[in-house]
Amino acid sequence: MIKTWMTPWLLMAVPFLGAALSLLLRASLQRMKTSALLTTVACLLVVIGTPWALGDTLAGVPFLCLLPLTAFLSLLGQPLHRDNTSAWTATLVLLGLGLGILTAQAPAHDVMLLILPGLLCILLYRYQSGATSETWRGLSAYGLSMVSAALALVLTTPASTVALLVTCATLLPLLPVHSGFIATLTGLPGNLPAFLVFLLPTVGFHTLLTLLPNLTVTTLHTVTILALAGAVYGSLRALIQARPLPRLAYAALAFFGMLWWYVADTGTAPVQATVYLSAVGLAASGLLLAWYAIRARYGDIDLRALGGLAYPMPRFSTLLALLALAALGMPPFGVFSGFLGMLLMPTFTPSGPFAVVMIVWLTASWYYTDLVQQLVFGRQRVDVRYDDLRQTEFASLVLLLLLLLALGTAPSRFFDSYVPTPPATVAMQEGTWIR
Amino acid sequence: MSFLALVPLLPLLTAFIVMTGDRAEQDQSARAGLFPVVAAFLGSLIALWVVTSGDPITIQLYDPASIANLAFPIGFYIDRLSAVMMVLITGVTTLIYRYSMGYMYQDRGYRRYLGMLGITTSVLLCMVSSANLVMLFIFWQILSWLLFLLAHNHAHAATLSGAANTFTILRLSDAAFLAGIVLAYSLYGTFEFQTLFTRAAETPITLSLWPDLGWEMNGVTAVTLLIFIGAMGKSAQFPIHTWLPRSLYAPTPVHALLHAGIINAGGFLLNRLAPLYGLSPTTLHVVFVIGMLTAILGATMMLTQNDIKKTLGFSTIGQMGYMIMECGLGAFSLAVFHLIAHGLFKGTVFLNCGNVIHKARQEPSFPPIDREAEESEFSNLTWSTGFLTTLLLPLVILLVTHGVLRIPLIESQGTVIFLFFIWVTSSQAILSLTRIRAVASWKVSTAMLVTLIIVVFTYLFAVESFTHFLYPNPEVVASYFKAAALPGRLFDSLVVGTTVLTILSWGYLYAHAHGRTVKIPGWIDVFLVRLYVLFMNRLYLDQLYLKFGRMVTLVAHHLEKRLS
Repeated sequence: MIKTWMTPWLLMAVPFLGAALSLLLRASLQRMKTSALLTTVACLLVVIGTPWALGDTLAGVPFLCLLPLTAFLSLLGQPLHRDNTSAWTATLVLLGLGLGILTAQAPAHDVMLLILPGLLCILLYRYQSGATSETWRGLSAYGLSMVSAALALVLTTPASTVALLVTCATLLPLLPVHSGFIATLTGLPGNLPAFLVFLLPTVGFHTLLTLLPNLTVTTLHTVTILALAGAVYGSLRALIQARPLPRLAYAALAFFGMLWWYVADTGTAPVQATVYLSAVGLAASGLLLAWYAIRARYGDIDLRALGGLAYPMPRFSTLLALLALAALGMPPFGVFSGFLGMLLMPTFTPSGPFAVVMIVWLTASWYYTDLVQQLVFGRQRVDVRYDDLRQTEFASLVLLLLLLLALGTAPSRFFDSYVPTPPATVAMQEGTWIR
Repeated sequence: MSFLALVPLLPLLTAFIVMTGDRAEQDQSARAGLFPVVAAFLGSLIALWVVTSGDPITIQLYDPASIANLAFPIGFYIDRLSAVMMVLITGVTTLIYRYSMGYMYQDRGYRRYLGMLGITTSVLLCMVSSANLVMLFIFWQILSWLLFLLAHNHAHAATLSGAANTFTILRLSDAAFLAGIVLAYSLYGTFEFQTLFTRAAETPITLSLWPDLGWEMNGVTAVTLLIFIGAMGKSAQFPIHTWLPRSLYAPTPVHALLHAGIINAGGFLLNRLAPLYGLSPTTLHVVFVIGMLTAILGATMMLTQNDIKKTLGFSTIGQMGYMIMECGLGAFSLAVFHLIAHGLFKGTVFLNCGNVIHKARQEPSFPPIDREAEESEFSNLTWSTGFLTTLLLPLVILLVTHGVLRIPLIESQGTVIFLFFIWVTSSQAILSLTRIRAVASWKVSTAMLVTLIIVVFTYLFAVESFTHFLYPNPEVVASYFKAAALPGRLFDSLVVGTTVLTILSWGYLYAHAHGRTVKIPGWIDVFLVRLYVLFMNRLYLDQLYLKFGRMVTLVAHHLEKRLS
């Protein structure tokens, strides 16, 4: 029989075994990909099945399900190519680690939190060979993250809290330690950016929730300022990027900055904040996957080099436009619902910085619309051979959109229906997401 | 009567039929798609009849007491205002759809265009029948995106740039609207219209803007001002009107819908929230000023354009300013009356506009350039009739009004406002008639008198009845006028100033027609030329915004350079 303490290890074991199996099947790309996909499905079943087998509820199961689902969707559209195989295996390993962090208690949780940036350092180093300044910045940020996580293990509160907060800030990006997040999204190959843009903030946010009750007013005030600065900085940087990957990375920084601001400003993390977090992650993931489809066909080109995809690639164009809509915060998708839901909480009072946040929110319409406009509209090029999305690519993007739609339209009570009472660690108000 | 909630969804069926059918059979699909639109129109008429003879229809698919559901609260509230708007929207859409079936025939994006038309109509219907502020805002935002897509020809660089500009500016106003909603909820804890109005009236709240300096603002004023910025965007109010002229590359039927339906959203919003606006004289004064500025600038810019669609576009901006100004004066029902009249008129003009452009491209002699013959003679009889009717009109109306009107406006500025608008409208019509110079001047004079009677009686009875229809409680109407009342001297000066301007224009017209020169100092002439250039270039606002955008980009580049 399964015991409660086994849950995180079980959740970790499935993807780790899947990763090992996929390595064994390296000879056949088709088999390897199928095995990776089946592993994520098995993982999803374990996430749903474990609380059922325990006769208990597992907090935040709907959100936990999003992790294997995102891994599945990010893998689904991948073309069968030898260059992608290591990214598939890494996805499974990171999925296992992510699930472990989200479900384990200290000290296992803290140890795994130390391993995650270490693994990211290896991946960054492996795939970029330390050639660019962005990589070095990313490596430094993750290095700092590892040091902080290690210090948190040995120090006592409040020093350990601050150390863990730094680790959180590298995963759920916060100025000035956002470089790791940016380097991950812009530098890693295959489906890894699309998966990590969801995984890292989720892990960071989850850790932040455990820290929140212990954060002092001064710390929260500092985080508020950094979050606002990060949101503005991310927006400005996203505005001027000619290449989609950095644009999407900085846009994600801006949107996560708004989340940091909200949490620090109100000192709460209602379930709507989790909806927002998941939706921003999923929307960014969708856009990264959409861009990957283009990159697989035409390489990592400048936005201005391609255009007029609306007629020759209607499926891609429609999905890209819808994903951009979701990402910039239009209804009925999750980003809008989450954001509005957060602002409607009784703990939130509109103040001066709210105007800054609204400007950041507004700026997103500028750079996301520009992204769509550059790719989808304009004159069609005669020297380019257009090839619309394949079935698997199409399916992965459609499913992502459906998830975003579900996050936007489902009543929030659906998301905390699994939340046990009394709350285990963070009990701020009704509707909070609890470990 | 809950089936009436399906009316807003019927045009979606049109979109489905048109967009999913076989491309080879797109004509049949388009014809089939017309039926749901007509059904929506009939449904709207039924809704109007139902709410006229009974209470408003309320359908809530959410629990307003639970905050968990408020991010996407779907419900319908169809009262007389909603029903009137629904009839207008579906009526105009039916005509536009039928017209577009021929106009857009064989266009590459025929199906997409008709489908978008269906979706836009559906969104508009959902917006006007929203049960609460959040749902209204959700559809308000979707409309912003649809306006981007309705530009239609996305391979054309200017169209594309105009569409992006439209979306960005509309999002700016959407952001303010969202801030207004959040503030309203934070202060009053509800989005339900009636509850919001009651709570706002019962609990006066003062917000401290800058505690150190002692800056304070009434809560209702802050909320209504923010929401008004939202209305300014959709209704193209100065200084965020620039999207409308830039979106004029879209097909003309799109403009018929835009100018007859979508752009009225601002007027609808102010009417929907009239009880809230009625609580804030400050906001109403701001609304009045913005509306007045837009009306003046829009009309002036219209006179300096040399492109038929731009001329019509600026005419719409001017009319929207007029409509918003009416709201700012507390004449909310008058604004709805105005938007319906303008919508029908402008829709017709835009539908014909494409043919005129087409004809002008085919026939070099069209439109005729030589207008010498028209200017040859001047009729004293026509001029005198026009002059006298225009000046005597206020007195006549005043005498009639005392005996006929049922609205208690005499004690407030309301009467004068109504009279003023009647006067301005009839003066406009009569001034136009004087351009028919010596051609059977007695007939023209008769036409003037008939116009006068039509305008006066339409305004007196239609507007009065319409006010009673939309706002059955006369005390409520009076309270809006009272809240919007301008300081006595300012109001008097405005009325006197406009009267003097009208008389002067009659004098100028007379002198000009007799070939007499009015002595104007040289610097005024130079100033007028500069002014003309300024208005011809639309006050250089487009360039100003572009410069601002470039400045932001420059700052961002500078930042990036520094950090790398």
